Amino acid sequence: MSQVIQPTIGLSTPSPRVRRLTWQQVLGKIASVVLIGLLTVYILGPLLVLLIWAFAKEWFYPALLPQAWTLSWWQTIFSTGNFGHSILLSFLIAPVVTLATAAICFPAAYGFSRYRFRGRWTMLISIFAINSFPKMGIYITLAGFFYGLHLIGTFPGVVIVQMLGTIVTATWIPTAAFSAVPRELEEASRDAGAGAIRTFMRVTLPSAKPGLIIALILTFLSSLDEAQGTFIVGAPYYQTMPVVMYGLVNGYPEQAAAVFSVLLTLPSLILLLFVRKYIIGGAFASAFRLH
Amino acid sequence: MRKGDLGMKNRPWTGFLLTALPVAFLIIFVGVPMVGALLYSLGDAGGINSAISQIGLDQVISHHGLTLKVYSGLIRTPAFVEDLIATIWVTIACVALIVVISWAIALYMRFATGFGARILSVLYVVPMFIPVVISSYALVSFWNDGGFVAAVMSHLGFPNFPSPGYTLVGIIIAQVWASLPFAALMLSSGLKGIPDSQIEAARDIGASGISLVWRVLVPQNMLSTIIVITFSTIGILGSFTIPYLTGPNAPQMLGVAMYSYFSTYNEPQQSQAMAILLFLLSMGIGYFYVRANVRADRKGSLAR
Repeated sequence: MSQVIQPTIGLSTPSPRVRRLTWQQVLGKIASVVLIGLLTVYILGPLLVLLIWAFAKEWFYPALLPQAWTLSWWQTIFSTGNFGHSILLSFLIAPVVTLATAAICFPAAYGFSRYRFRGRWTMLISIFAINSFPKMGIYITLAGFFYGLHLIGTFPGVVIVQMLGTIVTATWIPTAAFSAVPRELEEASRDAGAGAIRTFMRVTLPSAKPGLIIALILTFLSSLDEAQGTFIVGAPYYQTMPVVMYGLVNGYPEQAAAVFSVLLTLPSLILLLFVRKYIIGGAFASAFRLH
Repeated sequence: MRKGDLGMKNRPWTGFLLTALPVAFLIIFVGVPMVGALLYSLGDAGGINSAISQIGLDQVISHHGLTLKVYSGLIRTPAFVEDLIATIWVTIACVALIVVISWAIALYMRFATGFGARILSVLYVVPMFIPVVISSYALVSFWNDGGFVAAVMSHLGFPNFPSPGYTLVGIIIAQVWASLPFAALMLSSGLKGIPDSQIEAARDIGASGISLVWRVLVPQNMLSTIIVITFSTIGILGSFTIPYLTGPNAPQMLGVAMYSYFSTYNEPQQSQAMAILLFLLSMGIGYFYVRANVRADRKGSLAR
């Protein structure tokens, strides 16, 4: 029988019809159940407890559930001016960042995928290399520079600092998307008499669309969730949702921060569910390697 | 257009102009400020640094040539040295844990088929869906004194459980949490690329368990592993939100210290000198990251 099951560390191979578990396999099964259980508590535990806090009226240590429940903290958040303001601000900045990023990155992605030119490789690497500088270092040096340009505490300053976090992904994913469009299709269109622009609009763009949409969504989310750059460059006027969160953690009761957290997580959760299968399918990983 | 070039057009200026936009953006808003910060940290207060040097306190300004006084001043500050050491050991501990845990997840996902694998495949991506500010807050209140873990522990008969909230260990718990999706995605997409036939062949000649992993899977998945190691190292070295919200007041990680010097103490020169030190630390690591990618791409499409 060539299908002998090798006892492996917690890994099970698809078993043949006769299931005769060795004691190692039983141990492995138990170990993997325990480990997955621990990982589940580690990953989901904090989020669940935070969600419960958003509806808690009284929750005293060491009770495992709140003693009394309430919805009043939701009203507090919506009726307190600076929270509402920060939500508006976040949803005002994110589309601007997304459009500006697309405007400079998408043409570049097309350029990288279609043209060969001197310096192409250097330019690819230099965009890529931004991943190898710690963000906080970049923001601190940028803040010094922005003092000189009077961009501290301004709208353009916030947009620029957020764009630094979006450029790599928004160039890479579309580059891969444009590269994947079959050239034969474009050539066929040209042969049929369509011009360059018409071919681009009718053939290239529609084929690359899924990749471009993923890039747009990831850019939008990155802007919505960006905290530290905005915290440094936007202060004190541009307090987006994540920036307000820094202050909430200290100055407010647990429940207020919990409600705000749920509100801030919802858009990310909804948008990411859309792109989940692409992310797991490798589109996200591809933003970190030259492909 | 040359044949056999996958239809790449040979129009140098069009390509250059299209791709120049993001590169120019990065040169202006990353490159120039970096050079400015380097000069400022070496005592030069002219040019783009004249505005910031008007408001900074405790500055070293050299009118003739450059000086290393800011750096020597930092090294003589015990608090900074403690911060630097804490940053380095937290980073090493985090990266080691991330690599081990995400390899385990990736291996399990590659070979297991049952219910466990299905749960895991949803579970490990969850942190990616949560903004870092939120997860830091959720984790620190979960693990804190008087938090949920402490409550469970006291019910289990350990009322004096040493809660890791607001300690360096707390930072590690949160960093690993936030880094798992990226690391495990990277590694498992690498493992998926190793054909079954190769694994079967190794099994046929008697490789099993650890030796299969060590002799076949690890070497085959080296690029992904290097990307995970370098990228998490860089990310954690310069992290701000997680240590700011989950860490102790002292020692601080460099990201937090930079912010404190910049805003709280109003000493931008020291802060920017720290940023330069951070860049130097990560440049060594970044070199491996880019090189590993370039090497792997020799066969890839974009190198052509």
